[in-house]
Amino acid sequence: MRIGFWPLLVFFMFLVGCGRNERMDTVYAERCLSCHGPGGRGDGALAGMLPVAPPDFRETVQRKSNSQIRRVITEGRGLMPAFEPALRPAEITDMLQMVRFLSREGRDVAWWERFDALVVAHCSIPWETVLGYDDPPETEENK
Amino acid sequence: MTWRGWTTIILVLVFVAGPYSFAANAPLKSGAQRRVASTPINDFRFIDEYGAPFAFESLSGRVVVVAFVYTSCPDVCPLITASLRQVQVGLGAEERQKVHLLTVTTDPEIDQPKVLLAYGKRYGADFANWSFLTGEPTALKKVWQNFGVGVKRKGRGLVDHTPLTAIVDQKKLLRFGYVGPSPDPKAVLSDIRALLSERLSAPAH
Repeated sequence: MRIGFWPLLVFFMFLVGCGRNERMDTVYAERCLSCHGPGGRGDGALAGMLPVAPPDFRETVQRKSNSQIRRVITEGRGLMPAFEPALRPAEITDMLQMVRFLSREGRDVAWWERFDALVVAHCSIPWETVLGYDDPPETEENK
Repeated sequence: MTWRGWTTIILVLVFVAGPYSFAANAPLKSGAQRRVASTPINDFRFIDEYGAPFAFESLSGRVVVVAFVYTSCPDVCPLITASLRQVQVGLGAEERQKVHLLTVTTDPEIDQPKVLLAYGKRYGADFANWSFLTGEPTALKKVWQNFGVGVKRKGRGLVDHTPLTAIVDQKKLLRFGYVGPSPDPKAVLSDIRALLSERLSAPAH
């Protein structure tokens, strides 16, 4: 049985919703904006005070896998704080997706947007759990 | 505008703005404002980054630099902790015996000892004279109030707080406070050394 591209895309859109959403905007505004800036170009209000300029997502994020980005978010890097355990896994995924979306700003957006639903679907899969190297789920004991 | 108008503006600037420029509380280039104070600090007991009990009274006779931050802070806290690391590096071997650094969390919900330990390691802290403290919220609240630090929880891992770095002298008096990001390490070291020399020159009892 052959499934065409567009039915598959519609299926993923139905499954995971589509594109940038309010949750992603909120987590980004609360945790990232002050350094990374509104477009992820490293031009936030605090950027000028940092000893090392925050990266422009358009230059760095495209080369990184989701696992690599997730690791930076959870463990921190340089002066960037580690957002685990403060953020729940779903919020970390929101942040990851937002970073991915911003990294495509200024590129051939129309071309990329055709794949938004697939990207969101890909990011929504808890790869660390699927691949077997994620932390155990949070319980009352290890909270 | 006539020359009289210009003269009036210049005189106003000289007599009004001038004194502020030389005041003790003048803002530093670093972005933190230095304040002079004289507030007694009460003893407190918390737990450190290893989960061991920590008593403030154990630092009696030392100059103590206290910073109020939380580990998931996406704002000024990383700058404060980075400055504190530079202060620690700037201390001589002998000075390290007489000076202790404290990082007190403003988010005990998230900042458990293992989180604080990882945070300290990321900044290259030497735990010999730098402790990262957490504790019961009620006990922490008393210390925040004692130092004049306002803390308001906005959400999980998100806290509004006064970005204070304070210097407490050997007699447990809060003497200097730096409010804001990146307290200038050189200015902090200068204040520390001033307090250390005060002790040396103090009359014997």
